[in-house]
Amino acid sequence: MKSFFAIVRVSFRRQLTYRAANLSGLATNLMFGFFRAAVLVALYQDRANVNGLSIQGAITYAGLTQALIGFLSFFNWYEMMHSVYDGQVGSDLLKPQNFFFYWLGIDSGRAFGSFLIRSLPLFLVFSLFFEIVSPQTLLQGLAFTVSLILSHLISFGWRFLVNLAAFWTPNALGIGRFAFGLSWTFSGFFFPLALFPEWLARFSRATPFGASVYIPIEVCLNISQGTELIQGLFIQVFWALALLLVDHIILSLGIRKLVIQGG
Amino acid sequence: MTPIITVRNLTKTFKVFHDHKGYFGALRNLFDRKFKLIEAVYQINFTITAGELVGYIGPNGAGKSTTIKMLTGLLVPTSGELRVNGYIPWKDRRKYVKYIGAVFGQRTTLWWDLPVCDSLNLIKHIYEIEETQFRKNLGIFREILDLDTFMETPVRSLSLGQRMRADLCAALLHDPTLVFLDEPTIGLDVVAKQRIRDFIQFINQEKHTTILLTTHDISDVAKLCERVIIIDLGKILFDGKLETLLKTFGGRRLLSVDFAEAYLKPVLENAEIISIQGSKVLYSFERDVVSASNLINQLSTKYRILDLEVHDQPIEDTIREIYEKQLLYNQPHAEKNFTS
Amino acid sequence: MQRNLTLLHRLINIQIRSQLQYPFSFFMEILGSALIQSFFFISFALVIVRFEEIGGWNLGEVAFIWGMTEFSFGLMDMIFSGFDYDYFGPLIRLGRFDQLLLRPVNITLQVLGSRFVLRRIGKIFQGAVIFLFGLSQVGVNWTPLRIIYIPILIISQVLFFGSLFIIGATTTFWTMERLEILNIFTYGGSEIMSYPMHIFPRAIRLIFTYIVPAIFLSYFPAVFILEKTDPLNAPRIVSFIAPLVSLILLWIALRFWRYGIKNYQSSGS
Repeated sequence: MKSFFAIVRVSFRRQLTYRAANLSGLATNLMFGFFRAAVLVALYQDRANVNGLSIQGAITYAGLTQALIGFLSFFNWYEMMHSVYDGQVGSDLLKPQNFFFYWLGIDSGRAFGSFLIRSLPLFLVFSLFFEIVSPQTLLQGLAFTVSLILSHLISFGWRFLVNLAAFWTPNALGIGRFAFGLSWTFSGFFFPLALFPEWLARFSRATPFGASVYIPIEVCLNISQGTELIQGLFIQVFWALALLLVDHIILSLGIRKLVIQGG
Repeated sequence: MTPIITVRNLTKTFKVFHDHKGYFGALRNLFDRKFKLIEAVYQINFTITAGELVGYIGPNGAGKSTTIKMLTGLLVPTSGELRVNGYIPWKDRRKYVKYIGAVFGQRTTLWWDLPVCDSLNLIKHIYEIEETQFRKNLGIFREILDLDTFMETPVRSLSLGQRMRADLCAALLHDPTLVFLDEPTIGLDVVAKQRIRDFIQFINQEKHTTILLTTHDISDVAKLCERVIIIDLGKILFDGKLETLLKTFGGRRLLSVDFAEAYLKPVLENAEIISIQGSKVLYSFERDVVSASNLINQLSTKYRILDLEVHDQPIEDTIREIYEKQLLYNQPHAEKNFTS
Repeated sequence: MQRNLTLLHRLINIQIRSQLQYPFSFFMEILGSALIQSFFFISFALVIVRFEEIGGWNLGEVAFIWGMTEFSFGLMDMIFSGFDYDYFGPLIRLGRFDQLLLRPVNITLQVLGSRFVLRRIGKIFQGAVIFLFGLSQVGVNWTPLRIIYIPILIISQVLFFGSLFIIGATTTFWTMERLEILNIFTYGGSEIMSYPMHIFPRAIRLIFTYIVPAIFLSYFPAVFILEKTDPLNAPRIVSFIAPLVSLILLWIALRFWRYGIKNYQSSGS
């Protein structure tokens, strides 16, 4: 357990050193946030509220999705795949830590660091330009924090699963691109799920993608409260555990294959 | 003899920027850049005639790669005159480059994903090599460099030795008049090194290609180059026959003795013990201070010997000493060229 | 010139051949990427159902510019991939650019021919489908001018995005750091161009009019072709200057590129 946090700490510190390139990235995210907000405002026109999502909520959503990109490593993460291809995985497997938790540690440090130097400042600056919606009560804020942690676990679980393909095929990158694309479609990243047809919104929210991106947003916007809130968190916990299980199973299969067949 | 490379008072000064650090460092850099000037190459002079095989050596950071970059047209000099093959390299790049070849030990000139044969075919089109000339050269090189075993293999899958051979072939297919070789034997085993050296010699002798060899492997230079140019701290320290250099500085000789018994301290006057392994002892001595026969006399009077051998200090050690002790700087004419 | 083009053709051919080595997996990848890409538009299409229109433009009209922009961007990305920041940056950093300088071939051509991503056909195909869908929904008054303007517009858009790529690549001569901010103009630009631009706040519109003239490549031409009312009240002529704008930008980009190479040769790597 101690070694897990040691890994997290090292990875966290490493993430903090990426400060210089960060300013440029922050500006980019901010711009895209403005773009998405502008599109939503144009859609809403004079409407104050659509299907439970207020115009302020929609604008906040635009900022939140941008802030989550770095935190959830939303667009790409092929580090584990690369370690398999360049052979680093061999020495990684020899380490005393459990392989899965080793990578979870590294990614968690990265996520936490990214949250501090990217997500938080981005959202704060975004809030200077717009009136945003945030958790109204302490309980809601707490629930939001928990939801974000669960989001990270789900996101990692999925990314790790995708990277596991490297144990079986040299073309895992192609599979990875497709899998990431898949995760964007049902996540509610492009447009708020509240604006989708009801059947699609319900389906998306139930997928690990919607669970990791949209559910925490709903908590932040105070849309999800009470029983709905519990339900949402429950879905997140379910996916986090399910992916953890699947990852473990497939990982052990992969390791066995690696050990038997060689690099 | 026609000079093929003429270098006069060539200088290259770099501006090295000090970047501001910290969160707003990138921003501050936009408004206020601090820099210092570094003279990578300062007023160097030399002439190389057609058909020569010259070694261009010096310690790390000496200015070797800066010189080569200027000679190949990759870098514009700050001042001075530079003419290669009648061209000013950086000015007439496209025309100039047609007549030179370059091999860099650290990276390949070939296309990473393509099989060697496809890469060579592309080279043919890029340099507009005539079919007959292409076939002839390829035929010769295939044999000498033993390329057939990996002709169809993509470059990324080649071993270092194979890649070097493929690169050499590619660089020479268009019959360049001048070839730059930068670390051509780096990382190779003894057999591979020899094969590359043989090829370099073949090219120089059969095709009369002028070759400028930059390397850290002194045995490459010793085996291939009659003439060597030494550069350090941006200035030419020596330009002449390797023989001369060694005669002046390679004064140390080694004496290895096989004693009849393991003496504790088999001391000899004017000689230094380098190592003792049981009954085998290695001494080093200065040629000018004491003669080999003197030492042998000492040995025979004081000890019982089974066998002994005298040889010159390896060239690598001599050159290393020159770098480390900056011996050429202590010479009265250190700043001028030694020409022979 | 002739020789250079043959060489470029050769370089591109080689890459196509190697990318088609495993045709099945390649086809799957294209299908996958086309599907995924289209989801952004499909999401929009599903969302706009609630609102019926955005800024006075209906789904078909948005599809028209969205599809065309995707098509052009994909085409550009396939051709100008050598200048893609992610690819060109490492080329400089690893010293491979020197290899190009040592060959007796035009540098720009070599960079163009150094990377040709056939895979982008997915985006191109998806863009075409969306565009054709848009065409089927809107009733365009097809005058000869409008008919001929469409391919001209597409070519202009390709050159427009290509210029941005070239400018982005040139900046790597000076900075080793990844300038993410450039993405705002390339990917951001293409996203903005997919919508009727008058919906964006003034500050953003100004950036994409005077700094990166994206508005002349998508919005104004579309206003003309689709006969939309323009709340910006711009003079009619701006709908027709797309080719001029793209050529000027290309000229600027290539001059900057030449300048960058010269600077690279004076300051070393």
